[in-house]
Amino acid sequence: MSCEHSHIKSVYLTKANDLANITKMKLFSKIVLAAILANLATLVSGDEITLYSHRHYDSDRDLYAAFTKKSGIKVNVVKASADELIERLKAEGENSKADILMTVDAGRLQRAKAAGLLQSIESKVLKDRIPASYRDPENQWFGLSVRARVIVYAADRVKPSELSTYENLASPSWRGRLLARSSSNIYNQSIMASIIAQHGVNDARDWAAAVRGNMARPPQGNDRDQIRAVAAGLGDAALVNTYYVGLLINSSNAKDREIGNSVSLFFPNQKDRGTPVNVSGAGIAKASKNPEGAIKFLEFLASKEAQSTFPQATYEYPVSTDVPWSNLQKTWGEFKPDTLNLGMLGELNEAAATVFNESGWE
Amino acid sequence: MLAKLKRNFKQELDPWSGSTLFLALIILAPLLTVAIGLGDTGPKWEHLKSTVLFGYVSNTIILSLSVVILATLFAVPSAWLVTAYEFPGRGLFSWALALPLAIPTYVAAFVYYQFPEAAIPLLVYIRSAWGIDAFQTAETLLRYGLLATFMAAVLYPYIYLSARASFSQQRRQVIEAAQTLGRSPRSVFLSIALPLSRPALAAGIGLVVMEVINDYGAVHFFGVPTLTEGIFRTWFGLADRSSALRLAGFIMVVVFAILLLEKTTRGRARFAEPSNSALPIRRRRLKGLPALASSMTCLIPLTLGFLFPAAQLLIWTSQTFSRVFRADFIHHLLNSLLLAFATALVLTALSLLIAYTVKLRPGKWLRGIVGISALGYSIPGAVVAVGVMVSLGNVDRLNASWLKTEDGPKLLLSGTLTAIGFAYIVRFLAVSLQPLQSGLRRVCGSLDEASRTLGVGPAKTLCKINIPLLKGTLIAAFTLVFVDILKELPLTMILRPANFETMATTAFSLAKEGRIRECAVPSFIILITGAIGLGLINRFLKIESP
Repeated sequence: MSCEHSHIKSVYLTKANDLANITKMKLFSKIVLAAILANLATLVSGDEITLYSHRHYDSDRDLYAAFTKKSGIKVNVVKASADELIERLKAEGENSKADILMTVDAGRLQRAKAAGLLQSIESKVLKDRIPASYRDPENQWFGLSVRARVIVYAADRVKPSELSTYENLASPSWRGRLLARSSSNIYNQSIMASIIAQHGVNDARDWAAAVRGNMARPPQGNDRDQIRAVAAGLGDAALVNTYYVGLLINSSNAKDREIGNSVSLFFPNQKDRGTPVNVSGAGIAKASKNPEGAIKFLEFLASKEAQSTFPQATYEYPVSTDVPWSNLQKTWGEFKPDTLNLGMLGELNEAAATVFNESGWE
Repeated sequence: MLAKLKRNFKQELDPWSGSTLFLALIILAPLLTVAIGLGDTGPKWEHLKSTVLFGYVSNTIILSLSVVILATLFAVPSAWLVTAYEFPGRGLFSWALALPLAIPTYVAAFVYYQFPEAAIPLLVYIRSAWGIDAFQTAETLLRYGLLATFMAAVLYPYIYLSARASFSQQRRQVIEAAQTLGRSPRSVFLSIALPLSRPALAAGIGLVVMEVINDYGAVHFFGVPTLTEGIFRTWFGLADRSSALRLAGFIMVVVFAILLLEKTTRGRARFAEPSNSALPIRRRRLKGLPALASSMTCLIPLTLGFLFPAAQLLIWTSQTFSRVFRADFIHHLLNSLLLAFATALVLTALSLLIAYTVKLRPGKWLRGIVGISALGYSIPGAVVAVGVMVSLGNVDRLNASWLKTEDGPKLLLSGTLTAIGFAYIVRFLAVSLQPLQSGLRRVCGSLDEASRTLGVGPAKTLCKINIPLLKGTLIAAFTLVFVDILKELPLTMILRPANFETMATTAFSLAKEGRIRECAVPSFIILITGAIGLGLINRFLKIESP
């Protein structure tokens, strides 16, 4: 090897070493700094809260910024799936930095409650603003926005007489026409929980097996993909949450807007128990170092100001009754929600997953 | 018997093996936390066995096999062609074929998911012409085929890189002797080059299998539930942690068995040949049709695994760049790069220490423990994350009780960058350890032994002989780990501190919101950073060879 080469090599190595040292030091100082800041924060308590959230919406960030502006309390966010966040809360125990657990369904909140990860709180504001059916009787969790799971269909291929209830989707006339995402999805598990609550495990199993047999393709993708497949003619009807249609209709992508506008929406079970609904909600972590700040945050999210953003930004329904729906929601029309206690969705969740496995719905 | 074991153990304990053992045990701790539940039969185990377990296992086996077959077809011929022949584009292909490493499987899934959508009219036609059953068969074949193809297209570089390295280190004399004896080029390849490369190929294939088993995003999106998805369904859906951990343990055992099988079938044969005595193969120039065919053989995997996804991401990026690239985005980008760089540096250094010690002190104890502590690569990132979380949670509890003052400051590990860095080390140890171990065997051979026989200490030998000889391998190991960390998603999601985003988590959040086009911006940055890293490997490896 030539002299020049080894010179280049040694220069490179020195540079790499320098760089490595600097970077290491930076990271180290960053860690130390983070630790100091975290400690300072606990000393000067009351100026920030940490939120463990399953929600991924951009609009939430604006909402949190509005809260900070109003209250002076900074909102730190850790985003991951509710199941993962629950495991993290368990592992961290009383050392957890979390003040609030926020999920996209009541079942997971109920599970966190059962695991002893949440605490009961007293708040007149929350009690007044949130209807009793959308919060925990022991005040451990509170629904903040409402979701309805409905049937989206292609009007040119589905006769109005074919649409009535979720139960009816088991009818042989639907063979090869249905679309749904996987049974590991919490929204499907909650639908299944509501069917178990109504009909018992055995009938629920038969129902799931029949619906799986009626599917055009094995479960895959997310709710949006089911709507796209209905629009493209792969299947005639799909199980989805209403706000996905809203998100497609208001998408920045022209093709998505066209798809969103091309499908119709049906609220099942209107003549009996009502359409199954669920909430995205939150509870205060047992380990919270700043429960006062956390309560203020929940009260803000239940306020008229915050509630009125949900119909416009994410097309979810508001949980409070004094907030107008968006125009799009008005065109879908009023509907009767199932009155099943939402905590039941959590209690029956395990049974729902078991029944899905037995029925062959992947 | 026990006394003998004890004596063996004591003999092996010196500063080198002691520190390595200590490191390996720390890395092993989270895996043990996971493994501890293996013995318990969870309440849902019988239910799993009678319902979904068979499906998870068969999906995993079918997918792994098809990806391995396709990836080998993509990797091995192209690796041989760029090593043994001269044809248009060879120089470029030689390094560009590694580029798909820069694309995570979940990003490839976003890009390729448009094909099943585009195929819907065809499927609708099949249904109207041949009925529902034909339609469902076609749909399943299309989906499986597409999934296996694009996974193979982004994973084949693991095989390609080890095959190319192995081919290029084979002795010219052996190949030329065979040619002189009248062997056809095909026969030289099949009966000499390929068998000689078996250990390298096996290592590459092992990595591909682990990546397939580990994938969560792509298989979920394409509706093919494998064992990894089964773990989460069992854990979270059925609320049965024991059975979920049993599945994870099952995967660990299978991967360990594959590695062991490879080792025992290889037997005592040492395929390694010191490269300093070997001249590289003299490349034969191809012309006409064979040259064209060679270029095409290299172009196909490169297009599927890199050019097409990169072009698609670039188009989407150009449409959405201004909407995504804001101040906080730059901050997330720096987070990503800094974390990956620092962790990769530490991990490469640790791997070198461990690999060197194992070579220095070839005892069964150490080798076994190191082997097991590298198993983090074989279990899903989210499971590793839970193991790390539980271990660090316990450390924090101890810590808090020791340092307990009246609500005074505590130094906690959970939810810090240290926790994530540690988890990356647990997860990716195998990625940097494997090339360094095989590099030590192959490149250094018995040179370091000779040095030590001449009275030079192990530390000095490491610095004077091994590190200079291994520089290329070290840079390669560093870059592989760097790119892997940059792409890593599930573990980062679960363990990160508040308000901390990387490129991968940003991409995931956007995808979760259904903003696939916006998601292209962070994905493209992951891709470009990875590509630059791979370009650097290529450059330094070139400087190294005379």
